[in-house]
Amino acid sequence: MAYPYAHPREVRVLSKYFGDKDAIGIDGWIERGGYTALKGVFEKSPDEVIEVVKESGLRGRGGAGFPAGLKWSFMPKDGDRPNYLACNADESEPGTFKDREIMRWTPHQLIEGIIICSYAIRASHAYIYIRGEFVDVVRVLNGAVVEAYERGYLGENIQGSGFNLDLTVHLGAGAYIAGEETGLLNSLEGRRAEPRIKPPFPAQQGAFGMPTTVNNVETLAAVPHIMENGADWYRQWGTEKSPGTKLFSCCGHLQRPGNYEVPLDFSLKELVFDLCGGPPEGRQLKALIPGGSSVPIMTLDEIDCDCTYEGIEAAGSFLGSGGLIAMDDSTCIVHAVRKMVEFYAHESCGQCTNCREGTSWLAKILRRIERGDGREEDLPLLLDVGSNMVGKTICPLSDSAAVPVVSSIQKFEDEYLAHIRDGSCTAAR
Amino acid sequence: MSDGMHPAIVSGQPSQSDENNPDAPLFEGEYKDRFDKILSRYPDKRAALLPVLSMAQELRGWLSPETIGRVAELLDLTSAYARSVASFYTMYQLHPVGKYLIQVCTGIGCDLCGAEGVVEGLLEATKTRIGETSEDGKYTIVEVECLGGCGFPAMVQVNDKIYENVQAKDVEGLLKELD
Amino acid sequence: MNDENKLVELTIDGAKVSVPVGTTILHAAERVGIVIPRYCYHPGLSAPAVCRMCLVEVEGAPKPLPSCVQTVQDGMVVTTDNADARKARKAAVEFLLVNHPLDCPICDAAGQCELQDYAFETGQLRTRNVEPKVVLGRDHLTSDIVYFADRCILCTRCVRFMDEVAGDALIEVMNRGSRGYIDTMTGELFEHPFSMNIVDVCPVGALVNEDFLFKARSWDLDRTASVCPGCTQGCNVSLGTKENRILRAKPRHNAEVNSYWMCDHGRQSVVNWGAGDRLEVPMVREDGALKPADWTRALESLASGLESGPGGARALVSAGASNESLYALHKLMDQVGFEGGGFRVETGPEEVLAGFPTLTLREERAANVNGAQALGFKRTDDPFAVADHAGALFVLEEDLEDAPEDFGAKARLFVYIGNRLSAAARNAHLALPSPTFAEMDGTFTNYEGRVQRFSQALRAPGLARPIWMTGSVVLSRMGAGSELRTAAEAFAALASEYDAFDGMSYEKLGLQGAKIAGAGTAATAS
Repeated sequence: MAYPYAHPREVRVLSKYFGDKDAIGIDGWIERGGYTALKGVFEKSPDEVIEVVKESGLRGRGGAGFPAGLKWSFMPKDGDRPNYLACNADESEPGTFKDREIMRWTPHQLIEGIIICSYAIRASHAYIYIRGEFVDVVRVLNGAVVEAYERGYLGENIQGSGFNLDLTVHLGAGAYIAGEETGLLNSLEGRRAEPRIKPPFPAQQGAFGMPTTVNNVETLAAVPHIMENGADWYRQWGTEKSPGTKLFSCCGHLQRPGNYEVPLDFSLKELVFDLCGGPPEGRQLKALIPGGSSVPIMTLDEIDCDCTYEGIEAAGSFLGSGGLIAMDDSTCIVHAVRKMVEFYAHESCGQCTNCREGTSWLAKILRRIERGDGREEDLPLLLDVGSNMVGKTICPLSDSAAVPVVSSIQKFEDEYLAHIRDGSCTAAR
Repeated sequence: MSDGMHPAIVSGQPSQSDENNPDAPLFEGEYKDRFDKILSRYPDKRAALLPVLSMAQELRGWLSPETIGRVAELLDLTSAYARSVASFYTMYQLHPVGKYLIQVCTGIGCDLCGAEGVVEGLLEATKTRIGETSEDGKYTIVEVECLGGCGFPAMVQVNDKIYENVQAKDVEGLLKELD
Repeated sequence: MNDENKLVELTIDGAKVSVPVGTTILHAAERVGIVIPRYCYHPGLSAPAVCRMCLVEVEGAPKPLPSCVQTVQDGMVVTTDNADARKARKAAVEFLLVNHPLDCPICDAAGQCELQDYAFETGQLRTRNVEPKVVLGRDHLTSDIVYFADRCILCTRCVRFMDEVAGDALIEVMNRGSRGYIDTMTGELFEHPFSMNIVDVCPVGALVNEDFLFKARSWDLDRTASVCPGCTQGCNVSLGTKENRILRAKPRHNAEVNSYWMCDHGRQSVVNWGAGDRLEVPMVREDGALKPADWTRALESLASGLESGPGGARALVSAGASNESLYALHKLMDQVGFEGGGFRVETGPEEVLAGFPTLTLREERAANVNGAQALGFKRTDDPFAVADHAGALFVLEEDLEDAPEDFGAKARLFVYIGNRLSAAARNAHLALPSPTFAEMDGTFTNYEGRVQRFSQALRAPGLARPIWMTGSVVLSRMGAGSELRTAAEAFAALASEYDAFDGMSYEKLGLQGAKIAGAGTAATAS
């Protein structure tokens, strides 16, 4: 949230106005310097805009970390067919709630990013695909979109630039997998949100068969700042491979949960213990998931790393979406993993055999172990079933379900064994 | 700008409104206007399926086979196709629910922070079981996966309203507020 | 050089193969005799790559690739059968069985089930799964098709058939994840003239035809290549027979006629074709009544009828009779002077298969309208007028169920050649039992003039023999050709006498058939 727990060690670029009610409306936003990047953008050619974003090194914040400028450069420039931008606001990775706050407090920040991206990729219609569950956020966003139309930031000949852009807010209706970019495209087209086989990639054949860029909310929200201040300014933070700042959604057993924006090379350990205040009074932190529930679980002695894509990867997990889940010593790991796997079983679209059957099988085994009916052979079985789910399916949901199972058995085997052998839980409840 | 809602934001919300009416026509008046505007935002009719199903649910509270069939007809889709899509998305209620659909997030973030207690509290107070509608037709309590507010546990959604930081002790107050 | 003609060379399991650009790995592998297991892939449908059975290792690729959609690249090195690939397949089968009821002993698909096949090939002796299974039950999708949801592996072939080929998305996957199943709109049964194809494309026992349900085990069926007699389309079919009955027909691939499909009308019409009370022995009129005779006696009677008496020959034939039989009949009639032969055609509404419009349930519901025309017979709307004739009257495979009581009474010679002895047929001087299309070899000429072979699937009842065989004995004695022992010989004789069939032979017709010269005109009523 960064509010009410704003921390002096944060670098608040995207989240500067979180908690500031007056920043939500367009007048307040303009007063705070909003929409000023646009002028400079329209003076540049679309390719020059892409070049700046490329130089900034901005990486997609949805989880995969693909360089945004490079993605934009894949879009055809001939204009034979309409190009589309689909803003991925289907934030659903458990533990992640940053996009929600960006849209809730600074909707115009996102709209400006969308205008710039659309200009760069030569799109004349952009869609914001937003979770249907974000009912209050949708109201805020809707208001902002109408304001932007009324003030000439959307529609025809935006701010006299000659650039036209329509923006449509499209609501999901409850499907995690619609957050996967090709699942999102199918859902936008009025289909089941089943991920598509790639290739063709969205830049070749995306929404309605047309070239499409799909970008996360946080990625697009960073764009106006980069365009206004330049690539070098953005690169003052982070590392060569992971430049800039990033919002970390921090939840679970923490004194001060919320969103914190820090340079990517910030210490993960300090983020947890300093900014978030560590675990509640009298508790010990036991495990940490740094990038949403689909990345490997980390033990306390693994989190002494920076928050970059490469830093967390070297420490044995992934930055993912930046959704940090903290678990203290009252947590039953078997229970927590079961909850996460049940989520993926519930959300599996069911297309691919391994995922459809594997996720629900894992959940059933875990449920049985949790209630004390586990068998010694269940652990190797879980590991093998998990390995049969990794890298075998159209999209990574299957992998996401297997990851917490495999990593938790590797790191917390004793907790599983206690359930299996003694029917008891070692968590300090 | 024409009268009514701006075409950019006309999509229905996939949650029932408090004033939903299962017999409301599909679609008349402002809803017909929104329906036409939805179609204007997409290159084909199929893409309007989610926004229009959502609008039907907003209006009627749930998606009966008749509702789904009518939406399919309006969009030149087969009703089996529309049913398939509707059944994919969990916010679509394919069975009638109570006046207040209370959805408690029991995803990992909320689960770590007491969501189970909230569910138990609600079930006890409304004398229902998960998914059942209370005798007076007022409440249906369901568990849902991650509402996307893990930092504000537990997240609770009632019809088209969100409640943050709900704990077991807050249940009584929440239900009172609805009355 | 045209891109489509360009060849790409790759290695599959050590074997080098050159295939055109755009070929999938799965197809390239077939060229070198490697069949990569698959469930969701069907050659007549789009490939969603969801079953994950056909994953192969490709050198340099970070993860295994679905060979049904992955196209070949020059220098690609593919492995389909190393330890990893085998483990991946074994895993896919194991996953498919997690919620599968394993009810093979009572499943219609046992013996022709791809899940069963691969489970045997890759599976382990015991399941590792001890969890309760999802139970969904069964339901009708059409009045004739039952869906066993628990057996379904959600390959979506049926859904894709309806959407892509039938052109009407009447069934879909409902719900999602492991709770998914196939269904129609809530509470409805769907109707479509090509619905039964969903049963054929089902790789397991999830979709079954209720007509066939529990009638036979797959391995007890004999299968014979044939041609559907239901209309002039001439769909290539495989007849499934048991105990000398036709229990079902399934489409047999012919890219130019019916692809992988056929209509429901055809399937239903062929089941039990020819069953019931049959004319089994030759019968000769003696003292005013038909009496059983042997063939020697019957043919002597036929020969003497042809040799003596005034008046030419007229005929009423079935448009479902084979080319060979029609040819033989014409030749018999020639001996007394061919004065014309007619056939009637039952009609029904035309039904086009949207995704493969070449295949249409044709208005004319008989297999050999074009053949009959090419051999000199004419369509008539007044079939029984032919009996107003004092000369020789022939009827070929027309049941005469609706003919006037005195049909044939005026003729000096009335020869009935057919399957059943109806009241009017009993007026004949001579009744010769003939086999149905399923009881002999032969050819039909379809709506576009394609001559296609069908093979004998059933034993003919009693002494029933095709007229081209029995007639040739008479004709050879009269010095009109030699005795014909096989349908191939009969067809060769036909081809040598009719220009339209010039140069054709059974060998040349093969499995795909061939078009007669000047083909393309549809039969019309004269």
